[in-house]
Amino acid sequence: MKKYFISALVITLLVTGCEKKLDVLPTQSIGQGQALLTEGDVLVTLIGAYDGLQGVSAYGGEIMVLNELIGNSADIRFTGTFAGLSDAYKLEMTADNTFALGIWNQCYNTINRCNNVLSALDKITSSAANKNKVEGEALFIRAALYFELVRLYAKTWGDGDNQTNPGVPLVLTPTTSITEANFKARSSVAEVYALVIADLTKAESLLPVSNTIFATKNAAAATLSRVALMKGDYAGARDAAHRVISSGRHTLSATFAGLFFTFINNAGNSPSEYIFSMKVTTQDGTNGMNTYFGTNAGPGTSGRGDCKIFPAHLAKYEAGDARGAFFTVVGGNNYTRKHLDRFGNVLVVRLGEMYLTRAEANFQVGTTIGQTPVKDVNDIRNRSGLANLATVDLAAILKERYLETAFEGNRLHDIKRTRGTQSGTPWNSPKMILPIPQREMDVNKKLVQNVGYF
Amino acid sequence: MRGIGLCIVALLFICETYAQTKEITGKVTDAKDGNGLPGVSVVSKNGQASTTTGTDGIFSLKVTQQTTILNFSYVGYQSTEVRIANGQANVSLTRMDNQLSEVIVTGFGTKIKKDISGSFSRVKGKDIENMPVASVDAALQGKAAGVFVNSQSGKLGQAVTVRIRGNSSISASSQPLYVVDGVPVTANDQSSYGGATNPLSDINPNDIESIDVLKDASAGAIYGSRAANGVILITTKRGRAGKTLFSVNYQTGTSKETRRVDFLNSEQYAELFQRATRWYDARNGINPNDPNSETTFAKEWMAYHSFDQWLTDPKKSYDWQDQAFQKGIYNQADIQMNGGNEKTKFFGSLQYLDQTGILVGNNLDRITGRLNLDHKAKEWLNIGFTMSLARTLNRRLPDDNAFSNPLQGVAFMPMTPFTDPNTGLPTGTPPGDVNVGLYYNPRLSIDYALYTQEVFRNFSNVYGNAKILPGLNFQTEFGVDILSQNEEGYFQSQTVRNQTRAARGVGVNRAAFIVNYNTNNYFNYIRKIGNHSIDLTSGMQYQQSTAKYNFTEGIDFPSNSYKKIASAATKSGGSSSETNFSFVSTFFRANYKFKDKYLATFSVRRDGSSRFGANERYGTFPAASVGWVLTEERFLQSIKMISFLKLRASYGQVGNAEIGNFPQLGLFTGDAGYAGNAGQRPSQIGNPDLKWETTAQLDLGLDFGVFNNRITGELDYYEKKTSGLLLNVNIPSTSGFTTQTKNVGTLENKGFEIVLNTQNLIGDFKWNTNLNLANNKGKVLNIQGQVIQGGVGSINRVMEGQPIGVFYTVQYAGVDDANGDALFFKNTTVNGQLDKTKVNASGYNQAQRTVVGDPNPDYIFGVTNNFSYKGIDFSVFINGVWGNQINIYGMGRFSSANFRFEDNQTVDQIGAWTAPGQNAKVPQARWLSNNGAQLSSRYIVDGAYARVRTVTLGYNLPASVLSRFKLDRVRVYASALNLFTFTKYPYWDPEVNSDSFDSNIAKGNDFYTPPQPKTILFGINIGF
Repeated sequence: MKKYFISALVITLLVTGCEKKLDVLPTQSIGQGQALLTEGDVLVTLIGAYDGLQGVSAYGGEIMVLNELIGNSADIRFTGTFAGLSDAYKLEMTADNTFALGIWNQCYNTINRCNNVLSALDKITSSAANKNKVEGEALFIRAALYFELVRLYAKTWGDGDNQTNPGVPLVLTPTTSITEANFKARSSVAEVYALVIADLTKAESLLPVSNTIFATKNAAAATLSRVALMKGDYAGARDAAHRVISSGRHTLSATFAGLFFTFINNAGNSPSEYIFSMKVTTQDGTNGMNTYFGTNAGPGTSGRGDCKIFPAHLAKYEAGDARGAFFTVVGGNNYTRKHLDRFGNVLVVRLGEMYLTRAEANFQVGTTIGQTPVKDVNDIRNRSGLANLATVDLAAILKERYLETAFEGNRLHDIKRTRGTQSGTPWNSPKMILPIPQREMDVNKKLVQNVGYF
Repeated sequence: MRGIGLCIVALLFICETYAQTKEITGKVTDAKDGNGLPGVSVVSKNGQASTTTGTDGIFSLKVTQQTTILNFSYVGYQSTEVRIANGQANVSLTRMDNQLSEVIVTGFGTKIKKDISGSFSRVKGKDIENMPVASVDAALQGKAAGVFVNSQSGKLGQAVTVRIRGNSSISASSQPLYVVDGVPVTANDQSSYGGATNPLSDINPNDIESIDVLKDASAGAIYGSRAANGVILITTKRGRAGKTLFSVNYQTGTSKETRRVDFLNSEQYAELFQRATRWYDARNGINPNDPNSETTFAKEWMAYHSFDQWLTDPKKSYDWQDQAFQKGIYNQADIQMNGGNEKTKFFGSLQYLDQTGILVGNNLDRITGRLNLDHKAKEWLNIGFTMSLARTLNRRLPDDNAFSNPLQGVAFMPMTPFTDPNTGLPTGTPPGDVNVGLYYNPRLSIDYALYTQEVFRNFSNVYGNAKILPGLNFQTEFGVDILSQNEEGYFQSQTVRNQTRAARGVGVNRAAFIVNYNTNNYFNYIRKIGNHSIDLTSGMQYQQSTAKYNFTEGIDFPSNSYKKIASAATKSGGSSSETNFSFVSTFFRANYKFKDKYLATFSVRRDGSSRFGANERYGTFPAASVGWVLTEERFLQSIKMISFLKLRASYGQVGNAEIGNFPQLGLFTGDAGYAGNAGQRPSQIGNPDLKWETTAQLDLGLDFGVFNNRITGELDYYEKKTSGLLLNVNIPSTSGFTTQTKNVGTLENKGFEIVLNTQNLIGDFKWNTNLNLANNKGKVLNIQGQVIQGGVGSINRVMEGQPIGVFYTVQYAGVDDANGDALFFKNTTVNGQLDKTKVNASGYNQAQRTVVGDPNPDYIFGVTNNFSYKGIDFSVFINGVWGNQINIYGMGRFSSANFRFEDNQTVDQIGAWTAPGQNAKVPQARWLSNNGAQLSSRYIVDGAYARVRTVTLGYNLPASVLSRFKLDRVRVYASALNLFTFTKYPYWDPEVNSDSFDSNIAKGNDFYTPPQPKTILFGINIGF
């Protein structure tokens, strides 16, 4: 019987001893309750927001890629195999488009990161300046993404009633648990724009004038100028662009070629002309524009070579235009040289666009704030080796903008805001609006789908 | 683990007491040939004394003076009781050839099949030995009723899908629990490249004595929260007392792909390409001869991709499958040793396996060694250990959805030569034009890249078994499963078109180190009082697993001669991580038997796990079963035809705890750095109520034997209902999260299983047949409206009222005879009526998706016929499935899409519609236009197949010859794997599931997935 008791004792000891071993915690993650307790915690969460913004489905490149593919089939021959992109290019998107899903998810994931930062600003106690900077950056990222969302997934500003046209859901607080409140309906286009403008305005006031690779006052102002242009608020666009130009923080690159190949030729640094860009390093980040527009064209270059440029586009440049020579031929096809650099930084907005925005906006309202439209346009032309124009009209300004910023991810919205057409499809065609992802429609019954999708 | 030490120390101090004794001697012989039987268990009737027979069948045993009867039992023989006469007890035992006398391993114990009331399947090691498959789970295919096995692809060492009685989970694992010699082993994929691999392939299948599959709740409840997907108990061979037996086996053979697919030749391709572009030009009003026309582009494109060869020799064609497939080679050598005496017995083995796959660049090389030792330390104490070491080296291939997958080369234009005429190197190799070839040439990843996975695996286990009181034993076991894996990859600069990071070479090195400890400590008490027999088991199990991973990546190598990351100018990536889990469990099982007639089992297990939420730390899993042996009843004994008849019924609950390690916690993760600055992000939304999934299962069974057990069989009907399904529930991604793990939803599986074993002919010419057939119908009952999808084109979906992972898409309606449009059924519901209007591509978006197929087979079967005549044996094993469909959209949208893209097309596409009124099967070829290339049921095809899995012909040399060479046995044999396949499947292999998409939900997807090999082997087996 002694054996029995000893064995029984052993089992009891083992069971009680081992029960303590059930409290196992992860090693690479921490509980959400421990994540935002100190100033340092908030700062690393802000970095996390930049990481989200840099996601390939956001400013890592796919937002810009879609803007070009949907808006520019006249210039691009897309031969890639990704159905989501090919359907976008052919304006045959379906509600389960994987790129529409990826962008939506990445943007809202990043917005949640921003909301976490904004919810914990009281932890920043080192200085008011630090607190302002963090708040400004988080507001800037969130507003930039809401702006991208509303112009990709909703009707263009002014296409019908902005007060009733559905925009996108607005989420302004961090998610710590899932309740009915997380099932949000789409706010109106007007509401989304109002939030974007309010946040960017506040961000511009809070952000520092220089901030290394991170968002600055000018990044917020430049984005505000884009928002105002989309609204047809030319005075607002002009003033925001002018604030950027007159700040003197950025200068036009001496040559057009100097704007690109940031990794190969510029040690990974963005040129002064870049107002905001996503930094790519060999360890972190992907240049999504490179993925689809790039190709193998020598050391350090790469890409799927999916976006071939039609010869007809090249013919649009005047003789001697450095921008018209900024193409390369690989395997009998033309590729833009803007996105060949494998680890090139992803351009979001640059000073050249601000000149053209100021020119267009001044022209539209008949003012010459900062500079005359013709001078602004000529500054851009001269840089690429072209002679001055004597006068400009709206078409000339827009053409300059089209050639200057070709394949940089603006084409779709330039067509929409100028009420143009793309390969015969009018600016307000539902085919040029992304579907609310089918997955999101299935999950959240409060959402209404865009016209043309089921 | 100090508990174990304590226990062993405690056992050593236990004293023994003996009463007045006498010594009995005797000999046990085989009734058939009179030879002595070693290893027979001899037990006094009162259970107080026991021993085993020696090499020659002789034993001696000290028993009390009162003892008059000894009980003799031996696996596979009829147990016998013998009265002691003059201190002697001689007996001859009769071999039992029927399945009813088999000893089933039940988990923490064994039981004779006849006495079991739960549902088990047993596969003997002998039935799977020397099959040319590297892992035991693959070898199980078709062998056990209700066990569905799918090898996924013909790549070596890849993961195998195993489902016991259907798929019981949506987001948690659906694989069964694997227990090797009492230790639940690491069986989940550890690969970081080329799809999942199979950690079970580190076990030498020839070391296996038996595989027992615990199928119903009564059988599985002893494994509680881990048994919902069934439990597979693998028992390795043990030594037997007697002469040391050596067995040497060598087999060698070759393999090829089971099938090729016919693609267009150059002439057909050029014609169809230009047919498609002429349509495009006509639509755009461009003359096809215009330099800017797409037709001109097509010609230039074909010239470019053939190094202009097409211009001069338009008939020259290349079948790119030639570049993907090669002759596979299989070599396997085994030595097994087995012997010992009454006190100490051993089994040892060594195996070397060298396999070259049917796909270029795929090799697997494995060496395994094992030593199993059992020692009788004292009359009351048995101790032993098992140890196995394995080293598996696998040269891997990329996953199916990679341009470097060799089979993706079929997309190349047929006029593209294998070799660049300018350089003599494979097409696309620098310094030649790297852009020739529509896509990256997968051959370059074979010639200029290498990815190997090397695994060292150690399964070790020690045990002690003490007799405490008559009938009462205490078993203590401590085991480890150590998996140490290194993966090393190097991609030279030539592969840059596929891997942009490889511009100046990229190297990766990954390590995984997983230590899995387990201890089992339990009592077993067996007592027979009159007509009542009881068998009680009670104890505890503790398991802890620690997995550590690290990873380094380097780019920018000085040249292609440098391949280790030490030479990389940029260390471009690195990380280390760790994850843990633990289980502590107590269990109890009671078996009761009355007069061999009425059987009852009750078992219960309580599991605690680190994986469960704070509010749900422990779960309790009870089950009960009853059996009634009707042939023991007087009313059936007069019917001589019926030799055995038993009814069984069981009901109980088991759980599934394979839910990932920390699904319950709300987490932030520190992997969100930006441009060299560290960052964190919210990574998971928490759920403190999270727990296991619960499966309640009812099983009704009937075991029978007729005509003196020449025909035996089993029938089972089961209903499994799984509730509290762990779902990664889709939540609005506007919350910043896409899913939350919750216990929601229910599903059920119902089915029946039939097993039939017949001895058709006995005598010199023997023929027996084993057949198993199973039907399973799964149905998702409630997922609270969640949308869960996966697979190629996100086509697999979980839907209420349907089996898991049904194909959900638009229904294809064929070709419009008038204009060659691909048509789709609208399938919208208008006023309760299904609108069957057909729409073309422009209306595709309006077409409603419906369920158009199911990747889960309705029926699975296996049938084995064994024939023998004198020294010749012949067996044919066929298995198959039916009632399932396969999604071929992965290839179809490129290769069977009437020239939507310029990928080479399957040969049927040449029949694309050309003229009004033509009744074509394929829509009009329209370049760059989705005319049927959209996801639809056009790409859902029948997946049924029957496959002659193995055929073996063997010849045993007669004893007269053997004795001259002092050998016990010489067998020469030839065998074939996958000799014939009967199927209507249009692509390579219906037994498929692409490794790039595989999940519980994503089944039945083909994505240029390599087929299974057809292997012919010759072997010799020598015993001495």
